Amino acid sequence: MKTDFKHRIKQAVEDDALRTALSKATTTLRSKRLSALESLPDSDLTRKQARSAKQEVLNNFAYYAESFEQRLLDHGVTVCWAENAESANQHILEIAQRHQVKTVVKSKSMATEETNLNEALEQAKLKVVETDLGEYIVQLAKDRPSHIILPIVHMSRQRVGEVMHDTLGLPYTDDPAELCKHARTKLRSEFLAADMGISGANFGVAETGGICLVTNEGNARLCTSLPRVHVVLMGIEKIVPTMQDLDQVLKVLARSATGQKISTYTTLIHGAAKDGAVGPEHMYVILLDNGRSTLFDSPHADVLACIRCGACLNVCPIYKNIGGHAYGDVYPGPIGSVVTPYIRKQGHWKQLAHACTLCEACHEACPVRIDLPKMLLQLRANNQREEASFIDEMKFKMFANLASCPVLYKFATKCFRSFMNIFHADTWLRKSIFVPKQWTKHRDFKTPASQSFQDWWRERSKDV
Amino acid sequence: MSESRERILNRLLDSQVTATVSPVKQLVPQDPVPSALSADECLACFCKELDALEVDYYIEDSVDDLKQRLQTFIAAKSLLAWDQKYLPYGIADCLENENCCYDDADMAIQSQAEVGVTGCDFAIAETGSIALLSAKGKPASASLLPFTHVAVLRRADLVYSLGEMFAVKQDEIKNCSHLNIITGPSKTADIEMVLTVGAHGPGKLIVIIGP
Repeated sequence: MKTDFKHRIKQAVEDDALRTALSKATTTLRSKRLSALESLPDSDLTRKQARSAKQEVLNNFAYYAESFEQRLLDHGVTVCWAENAESANQHILEIAQRHQVKTVVKSKSMATEETNLNEALEQAKLKVVETDLGEYIVQLAKDRPSHIILPIVHMSRQRVGEVMHDTLGLPYTDDPAELCKHARTKLRSEFLAADMGISGANFGVAETGGICLVTNEGNARLCTSLPRVHVVLMGIEKIVPTMQDLDQVLKVLARSATGQKISTYTTLIHGAAKDGAVGPEHMYVILLDNGRSTLFDSPHADVLACIRCGACLNVCPIYKNIGGHAYGDVYPGPIGSVVTPYIRKQGHWKQLAHACTLCEACHEACPVRIDLPKMLLQLRANNQREEASFIDEMKFKMFANLASCPVLYKFATKCFRSFMNIFHADTWLRKSIFVPKQWTKHRDFKTPASQSFQDWWRERSKDV
Repeated sequence: MSESRERILNRLLDSQVTATVSPVKQLVPQDPVPSALSADECLACFCKELDALEVDYYIEDSVDDLKQRLQTFIAAKSLLAWDQKYLPYGIADCLENENCCYDDADMAIQSQAEVGVTGCDFAIAETGSIALLSAKGKPASASLLPFTHVAVLRRADLVYSLGEMFAVKQDEIKNCSHLNIITGPSKTADIEMVLTVGAHGPGKLIVIIGP
């Protein structure tokens, strides 16, 4: 499994087109986020408010989960609780069966990616159509999204054109506006024909039982207002206490994700259509655990404050170079490296924590200030404790002995310097077994200065 | 189903005792202080945001001017509109001779409309947003299906921030199935970060602000 991850990294690092696309996207989103935060009178305070809103729920998790459920029930919404992915998918299949659903339209939901819902629905012979443009292309291409906010950041416009031409039989074009128009027309007919709309939830408001959805395209509005059945799959940690708390988190969500003050469409849903209004006749909310309660019980419970903005991805030097697919699962980047082992319950995902330079950029960028580097370091320490071999232990013991004895240390550095001065950058020796290939393949290995600073200082002091 | 519920809630309750959540200082959510801006300043702020969003807007100081302005967008077009009792300034008159359908029409017919005509329940100056509550007679489809959406706003319904709107209208919002806060035309940048307008919702948003 370790080799799978390394293999995926290697492929990504050697893919120049991918890295160019990632660089462009992440650089643009980074600078937009910073300008957007400046438009707040006190962005630091707003971030604290947002964090405090999420933290309040974590401080009284069961209470808020129950309150939220009760308000949903008051609105006539049917609430189901799913302990894991299979259970969530099963609930949705039962709902589909109950309402004789043949076609489903979906707005973008990472939770449904987590449970692999599409596969489950398709196996039950339902037609499922993703409606977020990026997710639609991913579906047509039988691919996977590679970024929380920009699912096809890894695809060029030519590739998108090819996909739409091959799967929909449309004349080839690589003009984004034309491609978008094609998708609009095709998906409009899907929206009108669908029996069921499935969405995630950006937030759930405990005080009122509201489900908040944000998009720029409008596809979530279409999914949740046209079909006769609306199903929401929502992680239990998405709850915020009140409408005022919702306001605070909304203030930082769009700013951190895309650099907008607010997304184009912010929709707040309270139950199915009422009093003869046009809209869904039935609404269901499925509250998903799938490892979240385990996370809550772990030293990394704070990560449940995440609002899924993707800001950590955009500033991570690792993500920028390897992209989302290399991480191998639904949530990439710093956030993914922490949550994936808990969601998937499999040990091999812990290796993701090692793909980190501990630069703290994610901690700084996170609108709710989750200390991701600290968590990643803890995960790495845990891994080391579990996996350390006798040889590893000996290596560190040897280094510790060397480093804590000044005479030995000085002698070792002198040897090292002389050794390194035997050859410089261009000779064959540099590429030999003497110098680790893993380093020199991608990095410089400068030879040390001929004199150590301490020696130079000593000499200089003598002269003075 | 209820067994899952019990198990999940019990796990949360058990973990609460030992949960290592950070001691974040509890900040009371800021009360939405009605902004110190005057009505005119608020309007100016709103218009500045609309400019940045590339939303066309018109400020009309008389109902007649407003109706004339509206005519320019709806003449000879197929329309999908709110019911007359929800449209402000009596603009329902302008729709009488036009090819106009309402929320009782078949969805396929509603989807053919070229222009959606609605009022606004609220507008938010800070972000340049309009807020529409859905109900029988004021369908969400009117601001969603047609490519062009014309929204007529009463000047008095403009507030400064979303927080203010939530505070003042909380009861109305939670008794309505869909609140849509619309900020600019539908857009996407999914393909190579190139911004394209009119992804699924209206590609053109026009706001007419009345007296």
